[in-house]
Amino acid sequence: MSTQVHATLSEDAVEQISEDLGEPEWLLETRKDALAALDDLEMPDVIQTPGRKWTNLDALDYETLVDPLDYAQDKDRIDAEGVDVLSWSDALDEHGELIEDHFGSVVDTERDYLTALSTALFSAGTVVYVPEGVDAEDVKIRTTMNSRSLFNYTLVIAEESASVTILERQTTGEDTEGDQYYSGVVEAVAGENAYVQYGTLQNLSEESYNYQVKRGHADTYASIDWIEGNIGSRLTKSSVETRLLGDSSESQIVGAFFGHDDQHVDIAARVWHEAEHTVADLVTRGVLDDEARSVYEGVQDVGTEAWDTSSYQRENTLMLSDDSEADASPKLIINNHDTEASHSATVGQVDAEDMFYMTSRGVHPEKAKNMLVEGFFVPVLEEVAVDELREDLDQLIYERLRE
Amino acid sequence: MSSDQDHLKETDTEARFEFKKEENSAFETEKGLTEETVRVISEDKDEPEWMLERRLRALKQFQEMPMPTGWPGAPDLSEVDIADIVPYIRPDIETRGGAENWEDLPEEIQDTFDKLGIPEAEKNALSGVGAQYESEIVYQNMQERWEEKGVIFCDMDKAVQEHEELVKEHFMTKCVPPSDNKFAALHGAVWSGGSFVYIPEDTTVNMPVQAYFRMNSEGMGQFEHTLIIAEENSEVHYIEGCSAPKYSAFNLHSGGVEVFVGENAHVQYSTVQNWSKNTYNLNTKRAICEKEGTMEWVSGSMGSKATMLYPSTVLKGPGATDNHITIAMAGEGQDIDTGAKVYHNAPDTKSTIESKSIAKDGGRTNYRGLVHIADGAEDSSTSVECDALMFDNDSTSDTMPYMEIQESKVDVAHEATVGKIGDEDVFYLQSRGLDDDDAKQMIVAGFIEPITEELPIEYAVELNRLIELEMEGSLG
Repeated sequence: MSTQVHATLSEDAVEQISEDLGEPEWLLETRKDALAALDDLEMPDVIQTPGRKWTNLDALDYETLVDPLDYAQDKDRIDAEGVDVLSWSDALDEHGELIEDHFGSVVDTERDYLTALSTALFSAGTVVYVPEGVDAEDVKIRTTMNSRSLFNYTLVIAEESASVTILERQTTGEDTEGDQYYSGVVEAVAGENAYVQYGTLQNLSEESYNYQVKRGHADTYASIDWIEGNIGSRLTKSSVETRLLGDSSESQIVGAFFGHDDQHVDIAARVWHEAEHTVADLVTRGVLDDEARSVYEGVQDVGTEAWDTSSYQRENTLMLSDDSEADASPKLIINNHDTEASHSATVGQVDAEDMFYMTSRGVHPEKAKNMLVEGFFVPVLEEVAVDELREDLDQLIYERLRE
Repeated sequence: MSSDQDHLKETDTEARFEFKKEENSAFETEKGLTEETVRVISEDKDEPEWMLERRLRALKQFQEMPMPTGWPGAPDLSEVDIADIVPYIRPDIETRGGAENWEDLPEEIQDTFDKLGIPEAEKNALSGVGAQYESEIVYQNMQERWEEKGVIFCDMDKAVQEHEELVKEHFMTKCVPPSDNKFAALHGAVWSGGSFVYIPEDTTVNMPVQAYFRMNSEGMGQFEHTLIIAEENSEVHYIEGCSAPKYSAFNLHSGGVEVFVGENAHVQYSTVQNWSKNTYNLNTKRAICEKEGTMEWVSGSMGSKATMLYPSTVLKGPGATDNHITIAMAGEGQDIDTGAKVYHNAPDTKSTIESKSIAKDGGRTNYRGLVHIADGAEDSSTSVECDALMFDNDSTSDTMPYMEIQESKVDVAHEATVGKIGDEDVFYLQSRGLDDDDAKQMIVAGFIEPITEELPIEYAVELNRLIELEMEGSLG
């Protein structure tokens, strides 16, 4: 246990962070408002069925876990030609107005308790700005968490006809010990005909609690694709969302998780079709071993004005252990009849026939199982258009299977 | 026919006045359902003390439980004011037995009966009290035929008197306890009427047991209770409800159905419900299935303003099977929130859920389901399929399945699709000489065929006719 006296969740702490980052007044006020709102805000929604709340976020003592002024971290930002990939303070200097315009426009800064906490205390921000018409290469952001708590904030602005792929990795440094809390908010604004692909590979320490919200607004002809890879953390509560606001906009949400020991993964993938000819595809696959648990909620919400919509969702869970648990709720909410929508979810174990087939050909059962688990992820990995992310994810799955 | 009025006349004058005063004041206050009302019902039925106690306990639970709010997308129950529930019972007691005359029925219901081609005599039976309905004769015959073997099929109120031990053991104890939900508790307090079916060991009742003679025939028919006990190796197909709209003077229906499927027994429960469009239909239906037993639910939900109904099965014994086949249709102003719940609590259990829904003219259908596979229920499998058909853009169709899986050696699959009625299909049929209405009707009939083919022919025919009626005016 740390013996350091925590700076509590106070206005002073918020002012200190804001000063450290050289922020303008409006942002300090936004932070203070979020801090003040904490008293009245609820925890993020989790799936509840009679008698059961599937992810218990109330159990965490955030005030103890959070040390507002200790935000030690390593941050690598690799930019690409034509793109500004800036630390929060640099971004405020260079694109102050742009940030003021977009900050909180996609993710409500006071959406719930944990988001407001993030708004008040974030320190590790990155702004990715892709000007009109720029067709960028891969941008990479790597965050290594070296403190008890860390609040990350990423703003992506892709102007008209711009395109960018962002690869984010989240890991924990060597020197940390004990419970940790990581919180990340990503807002993505995709202008007309813009393309944003945002991939995250979360491999935080298994003593960390992880809360993330990623949300994008897609304008006409724009595409926002999310890749959500979750390997680490003890508990993850992650929401990945796109609002398809412009005609013919599209979104794909690809998810992969692998839980073992007593890991708990709660993923919500949500898409709102709010314009005509919009397309969404949600694909998630997860493997659970030991006592791990997964909670999955997928929502395809087709609004009344969303004519000629196509919306698809698939979720598959593979269970390797009797003590693991999986909860799935793929929801379809349809208010327009000119819609083609489907969702499906399956839960199963490694196919006995496949195992038999492989072992009968001399493959050791353990190896056969590993091959089948790796094979299970293939349909999702195939959807990951970023080679590096796909390879890293594949490697982490490979390592976990051989632990 | 006795009524609450008669009952009051029979009691001693002083008590009557006191009683009346109390009741009236209870109705006027915001307190909601009172103990007095429950006592009147119980006394009127000359029930044993234990039943009154159960009612009172249920009432207490009802008063303590909150309304089911906060469910995503759940129907709006704000009009179902607890304080108003008592007045809902009151007119029922007064007009016990339903409308006296055919003419007293709402026009839309008369109209439906006409269009269904129900003969005048039956109409009178449907609207009246004492008249016999055709199916009741079936029931009488059945009783003669099967009673030698020990089959019991009677009125639930009668069962409390004549088969007290069986009822006492099974009535709202293990299957649907009043604590299950607020409306189960309400039901437990004010239930009345319904059917009692008992099939002894090794007995197969090879013709469907039907009960659609029950409409408003027994006081608070809106709270009817059905208890089916199928002992080891027995088999029965029970058909409930009416395939014609029920006349309802008030706005809440809260029935209870409990089915006990013994070892290796087979129970099918079929219902086609078409409540009038001012009815809130908040039922609780559940089956407990022992080893190798099979439970089948076949249901059509057509009417009501709002329905919240999720027939559930607990697969308690190894090798037990559950099949759900449901169809929901929502038209203007209707919100049909229905689905299925299955608990796999033993190994080698199987379930299938097949759900079809049609939304038109601003109606809303929702499939809300829960499949729970408990730790230890290995080698269990479930498959859920939901398909929704939408006619127009004022309508809404949602699916909200939940799956809780605590066991790894399982096979779980859920699939749902939503689509509009296919223009190409309509064109194809039109090009072969069908008009637009007939073409759409035919497509809908094809869409729901998996359901209708599970029903006895007369029900299937009536279901199809009901759907035709529902679609009338929305087409062409």
